[in-house]
Amino acid sequence: MLDSNQIKKIKMKVEPLIRVEGISKRFGGNQAVDHVSFDVPHGIILGLIGPNGSGKTTVLNMLSGEFFPDEGATYLEGRPITRLSPSQLAHLGVTRMFQMTRVFGRLSAFDNLLIAGRAMGLTAAEASARAQSLIQELTLEHVQYLDAGQLSGGQKKLLEFGMCFMCPPKVALLDEPFAAVHPVMRETMSRFIQSRNQSGQTFLLVSHDMPIVKILCHECICMNTGKIISQGLTRTVLEDPNVIEAYLGGDHE
Amino acid sequence: MPLFFDLTINGLIMGLFYALMAVGLAMIFGILRIVNFAHGEFFMVGAYAYALTAMKLGINPWFALILAAVSGAFLGVAIEKLLMRPLYQGYASWSIVKDEYAVVVTFALSLFLIHFVDKVIGPSPFMGPSLVSTQRIAIGPIMLNGQKIIAAGISISLLCGLALFIKKSLWGRQIQAVAQNRFGSSLAGIDPVKTTSIIFAISGMLAALSGALLAPIMNPAPDIGSFPALKSFIIVVLGGIGSIWGSMFAALLLGVSESFFAVYISYDYRDAFGLFILVAVLIFRPHGLAGQKGRGA
Amino acid sequence: MSQIENLWSRRLARDLKCLLLLCALMCFVPLLDLSPYTLGILIIGFYFALMALAWNLLAGFTGQFSMAPAAFAMIGGYIPALLHFHLGASLWLGIPAAVIGSAALGFLLGTTVLRLKGPYLALTTLAFAEIARVFIGNSHEFTRGDQGLNLPTLMDGRIAYYYFFLALVVLMSALIFLLMRSKYGGYLLAIRDDADAAESRGIPVVRFKLFAFTISSAICGFAGCMYGSFSQLVSPELGLLQQTGLIISMVVIGGIGSITGPVLGALLVYLSSEWLRDVGNIQLIVFALLVMIFARFFRTGLWGIFLGIYARFKSNKKN
Repeated sequence: MLDSNQIKKIKMKVEPLIRVEGISKRFGGNQAVDHVSFDVPHGIILGLIGPNGSGKTTVLNMLSGEFFPDEGATYLEGRPITRLSPSQLAHLGVTRMFQMTRVFGRLSAFDNLLIAGRAMGLTAAEASARAQSLIQELTLEHVQYLDAGQLSGGQKKLLEFGMCFMCPPKVALLDEPFAAVHPVMRETMSRFIQSRNQSGQTFLLVSHDMPIVKILCHECICMNTGKIISQGLTRTVLEDPNVIEAYLGGDHE
Repeated sequence: MPLFFDLTINGLIMGLFYALMAVGLAMIFGILRIVNFAHGEFFMVGAYAYALTAMKLGINPWFALILAAVSGAFLGVAIEKLLMRPLYQGYASWSIVKDEYAVVVTFALSLFLIHFVDKVIGPSPFMGPSLVSTQRIAIGPIMLNGQKIIAAGISISLLCGLALFIKKSLWGRQIQAVAQNRFGSSLAGIDPVKTTSIIFAISGMLAALSGALLAPIMNPAPDIGSFPALKSFIIVVLGGIGSIWGSMFAALLLGVSESFFAVYISYDYRDAFGLFILVAVLIFRPHGLAGQKGRGA
Repeated sequence: MSQIENLWSRRLARDLKCLLLLCALMCFVPLLDLSPYTLGILIIGFYFALMALAWNLLAGFTGQFSMAPAAFAMIGGYIPALLHFHLGASLWLGIPAAVIGSAALGFLLGTTVLRLKGPYLALTTLAFAEIARVFIGNSHEFTRGDQGLNLPTLMDGRIAYYYFFLALVVLMSALIFLLMRSKYGGYLLAIRDDADAAESRGIPVVRFKLFAFTISSAICGFAGCMYGSFSQLVSPELGLLQQTGLIISMVVIGGIGSITGPVLGALLVYLSSEWLRDVGNIQLIVFALLVMIFARFFRTGLWGIFLGIYARFKSNKKN
C-alpha cells in the first residue's frame, strides 16, 4: 500500500495517466453523470464507489468508449480519447471488464485467450505462451479446454480477467469484478491485481465491496446522483460523513 | 373527392385487419424479444378453419368464426410449448443465440405448415361464406362490401377488447409486468411461462380471426399468410417493436398509404411498397415510430 | 477424445481432414456409370454445398443470419447472363463481374444491417432478397423477366462439370479452413459469440462484419454463376426465399458452425430431396420438420452427432 506521501510524489512527477474533465451524460430525463472531473495517476489502484445509480458504471462506460459524453473530455497520457471506439481504446492500452461477464461462450477458454492476444497484435506463438502462463496464474488449468460458456460464473470472470491481460494494458477498468464471486476466486483476483500493480499496472476499480476496496485501493472517488461527493485517500473517503450518508440515506434503484 | 374518401375508408378497413394481425406479433416481441416468422400461418389456419368448417361441415358461419379463433389459439400454445420454451426455461444449447434460434425455427415452422397444408388439404377450392347476406352497402357516396363492414366492426371490437384486457384485467397486468421485467415479475409470483403461453394464444387467435374474416374475400391458399405476415413485420417495426398502440396506429397508416399507392403510383408494386418502407425504417430508425429505446437494436 | 480436442485449431483440422476424405471418395463416383440425370443431381448438390459453406461463414461463424444467400446466387447468375445477353460478353468477363458485383452488393447490404441483430437482420436481408427477386422478375425489358436468360457453358459434358464442381467445393473448403484457422477467423467467431466483448478486446467489429458479408456474398454469387453456366439458364426462381430455406435447412441439419457440416448437409439433403420428390413431393415438409427437431435437440447437427458417437466409441475402446 502506498502512503499519502508516495502518492503525492507520483502525482507531482508526471502527467496523470487518465484525465477526466467535466464529463456529463444524460439518458432521457435522467442526468446520470454531472460534470465529473478526476485524474488517474500512474500506478495507482483507484476505487470508484457510490450507491446504486450514482453513475459509476456510466463513467466507466464513457472511459471505455461504450458511449460518448454529452460534454467534457477524457485524456490518456495527455492525448484526447473522448470519441474513440472500444477497439481503438483497447489498442491504446485501455481495457475493461464488464459487470455481466462477457466471454466467447462457444470457444474453449484457451481459445478465448488466444483470440484476445491476437487481437492486440501478438503473434500466434506469443499468444500461445502468454495464454499458458495466464491459465496457470489464474488456476484455470483444469477447465482450459472446456467451452467458455460451460465455466462457472467465477471461472468466467477469471477468464475475462485473463483476456484483459494477454497484453498488459496501460490501465485496466474493472466493473464490479468481485460481485458474486467465490471467496477463493476473489483471493486469486485480488492477488493478481496486487502483483500486477506492484509492477506498475494502473487500475480503476468500480466496486461495492468495501472490505476489498479498503485493502486494494490507494485512493477512492465516491459518487452520488451523478456527481463526485468525495475523493482522496481511501480511508479518508470511507470515513467522510457525506459518503456514509449517501450509502445509508437511500437506494437509487 | 369521393375517390379520396373511398380510398381512405377502404384503406382504414384494411388497416384494421392488419392491426389484428400485427398486435399479436407486437405482444410476442414485447415479451420474448423475438419475431415469429410463422405468424402468417395463424392467418392461414384461421382462413382454412373457417372456410372448411363453414362449407364442408355446413356449420353456421359465426360458429365457424369461433372455431377459427380457437384453432389459432391452440396452434399458438402448441408453438410456445414445443418450440419456444427452451429459450427461457432449462438448458438450451441455442440459448446464447436465442434471436437466431427463433429466426431459424419459426422460419422452418412456417415452411413446414405451408407445405403440409398444401399436401394434405391443398388450396381450398372455395371461399368462405359471407357473414351477412347483403353484399353492397352504400354509405353516403361510397359503396362498401357488406362482409368488409362486418369484419371491420368485429376487428374494432376485438382490438378495443384487447386494449381493455391488457389495461384492466389481472392477466393483462401480469402480461405488462412480464414484458417489462421477466425476472422481477417471477419474483413477484407471476408465472412467466404461463403468461407467455397466454400471449401466444392471443396472438394466434387474433391472427386466425383476421384470416377467417378475410376468407370470404380471398381464396384460401396454403401460402395466403405470407403477405399478411410480411406486412405485420413491417407494421411492428414501424410502430416500434413491442408497442401495441404503435402497431395499431402503424397498421392503419399502412392500410391507407397502400390504398393510395396502389391507385396513384403502381398497382403491381403495391406489396413491395411495404418492403421499401421496412428497409428504410430499419436503416434510419430502428426503434420505429413509437417504440422504446432498448440496448441495441 | 481428450478435452484438448475441443481446441478450435484441432476442431478445424478434424473437420477438414474428414471433408477431404469425403471428397476423395466422391472422386470415384463417376466410375459407377451413373445416368446423366444422377450426375446432374450430384452437381447441383455441390452447388448447394458451396452455398451452404458461404451461408455458414456468415451465420455459423460470424453470427449474421442473413436471408439473402439465394438472392446473391441469383444476382451472380444474372450478371454474366445480362452481360452476355446485352453485350455478347463471354464468361471470361462474366465470372469476375459476377464475383465483384455480388461482393459489392454484399458489402452494401452489410453496411445497412450493421446495427441490426437477430430478427431485424433477418427481416432486412429478407426484404433485400425479395426486392431483388421482384425487380429481376418484373423487368421484362432488361431481364426477360420470368423467362430467364441463357448462359454459355464452360466445358463439355457432365463428367467434366462434376469434377469441376467437386474441385470448387474442395477449394472453397480449403480457403475457408485457412481463413478460420487464422486470427481473422477467430475475430469472426468472437463477433458471433459476443460482438460488444469483441470490440472491447480490440477487434474492429464493423470491419469484420462487412468482411464476412462481402466474402459470403461473393461465394454465393460465384456459385450462382457456375450453376448458371452448368444449367445454361438463370431465372428469378434461383432467388426464391424457398431456396434460402433449403440452404438454411442443409446447414442446420448438417451441422452449423463447422466446415464439414454444411457440405454434408447439402449433399444429404439435396440427394434425399430428389428421392422425396418421387415419393410424393414432401421434401420441404420433411426438411422443415428436421430443421425444427435439429435446432431444438441437436444443435451440432448430423456432423456433431457423428463426432459424438465416434468419441464415445474411441473412449470405449480405451476402456
